[in-house]
Amino acid sequence: MNLVRDVLDKKLIDREDCCMGRVSGLVMHVSESAPPSVTHILVGGPTLWMRVHPFLGRLSKRLATIWGPKRNEPVKIPWSRVETVGRDVKLDVKGKDTGALDWEIWVAQHIIERIPGGGSEEEE
Amino acid sequence: MKKILQLALGVITSVGGFLEIGSVTTAAQAGAQFGYQLLWAILLGTLCLIFLIEMSGRLSAVSKHTIVDAMRERFGFPFFFIVLVGMVIIAFMVLVAELGGIGFGLQILTGVAFPWWAIPVSFVVWLLMWKGSFSLIENGASLLGLVTISFIVSAFKLHPDWSGVASGLVPSIPETDKARHGFLAVSILGASISPYLMYFYSSGAIEDKWDRSYIPINRFIAGFGMTFGGVLSMGVLVVAALALQPKGIQVETFPQAALLMTTALPRWGFYLFAASMIVACFGAALEISLAIAYFFAQGFGWNWSEDLEPSKNSRFAFVYTIIILLAAIPLLLGVDPIKVTMMSMALTSATLPLAIVPFLFLMNDPIYLGKYRNGWISNSVVAVIILISFVLALISIPLQIMGG
Amino acid sequence: MEVNVELLIGTKVRDADGNDVGRIEEFRVERKDNSCTVESYLIGAAGLISRLSAWTLVRPIARALHARKLYYLYDVPWKDMDLSDPKRPKLRIARGDLRHAR
Repeated sequence: MNLVRDVLDKKLIDREDCCMGRVSGLVMHVSESAPPSVTHILVGGPTLWMRVHPFLGRLSKRLATIWGPKRNEPVKIPWSRVETVGRDVKLDVKGKDTGALDWEIWVAQHIIERIPGGGSEEEE
Repeated sequence: MKKILQLALGVITSVGGFLEIGSVTTAAQAGAQFGYQLLWAILLGTLCLIFLIEMSGRLSAVSKHTIVDAMRERFGFPFFFIVLVGMVIIAFMVLVAELGGIGFGLQILTGVAFPWWAIPVSFVVWLLMWKGSFSLIENGASLLGLVTISFIVSAFKLHPDWSGVASGLVPSIPETDKARHGFLAVSILGASISPYLMYFYSSGAIEDKWDRSYIPINRFIAGFGMTFGGVLSMGVLVVAALALQPKGIQVETFPQAALLMTTALPRWGFYLFAASMIVACFGAALEISLAIAYFFAQGFGWNWSEDLEPSKNSRFAFVYTIIILLAAIPLLLGVDPIKVTMMSMALTSATLPLAIVPFLFLMNDPIYLGKYRNGWISNSVVAVIILISFVLALISIPLQIMGG
Repeated sequence: MEVNVELLIGTKVRDADGNDVGRIEEFRVERKDNSCTVESYLIGAAGLISRLSAWTLVRPIARALHARKLYYLYDVPWKDMDLSDPKRPKLRIARGDLRHAR
């Protein structure tokens, strides 16, 4: 398997077949004595913006702590939760529990649901 | 049988390409100033679009990915971000122009100036997206779009010289006003070969749940849809050539374009023109708003579908809400939608390679398309389109300055 | 030590003698049970083309233009890569000892 072609930037699907974003980054544990291993999938803005320019990455990290769902750390999903890697990356997690959908929920609750006809993001 | 009803996707896509305010204005200007001489530009735009749209549908039907999905996955975020910025700026300008076009149509009918219509028109467009489903928008806009057939009726009623029309389908260089001629040719191509049409069509294929069994009908839909739009656009040009050129009317302002159909249809032409513009620009506004929202949602991996309740794809809904709101502002301030559309067409031409070159890579990707990837004919056509796009990119801004 | 894979893409790599080798374009990994281990790093233009799945497009053009450089690709086993400074990755061996990948 090739990491960049087959995993990076792919869509993440949770166990309920819900889209929970894309693979923004991957954390690799490197040591002298063993092959490097991919330990976590990173999801979220600061990781993405870091790929464009470090300044944008730092700015995004700063903004992430002061507005919206306010996160101090990027969303990190252990590689062990990956079920399959194919067209998309299927995970054995519930998207809402990982923090990957925090922004989706925040926008729904603070903006969309306040407009008539917006509905409710909570399941019936 | 049900698949044939998908023609609506082709029709609404072509409305956004050929019958929106930019295309109608440039076709009218082209006919009014140069007679049939620029028909070839519309023909070329139509042919290019038929191929590009067919490929867009094929990619989605086979890979179950949209163009934007595939672009982000193959080329990575930094490249996607560059395309995102370019696409959003241009699409936003086109959206402003389309909302203005609806306003202009209403201005013609009611006498109330278009800035006053900015808020009600934006609200209605937004409401349709907020409450409507994809098939409602797709089928509704396509059905209503049939009113634009009045352009063809007008063209026939004016008894064009068909041999003149035929010779207009072959490129020629005029004796005078070469810069203006070149500018209009570039504008026509920029107005028709708009990347957001491809993003919209490919997203529509996913919304309509296409699979491999749709590949044959996709060819027909792309061909029929784009031909429909192209022929209607040619109708506008022919009508302008017959109705406006003899009178020396240049179509400098939009209200002058309203005179297009009054020669052929004295009683109804005025109202039909206004109705055609309202409907066509409405369809285009919906298409562009959706295209922008799709671009963000697919690129960033959010939930998206026009069929979902807004709260179930909140960020997608938020993007189109904000973009429509922001697009009303320039109109409220009285910015001329025609000037905005002319600039957007030149910018589209200037940035076309950024959309088409990656697309060529995607259409040859064996992982996404398998045995359905491009053959040598399709690749040659895309290569020619890339060449055209680079030429357009180089000359569009200078021509805008010289001939615009 | 933890390293961000996405920030390594496109980073220039030098060999043990300080010579330019190319840029990291891809990571060959093996998935086993719940783990994912890196077997090798692909360095060179051909790695980028593979990453874009673009060989069906590029191969005929490269052949026609005799563009040999597009085919060069080093497959560097994980043992031979030193990522102690992720911004400046370097090989533990000389370029001449590198294996060309298929």
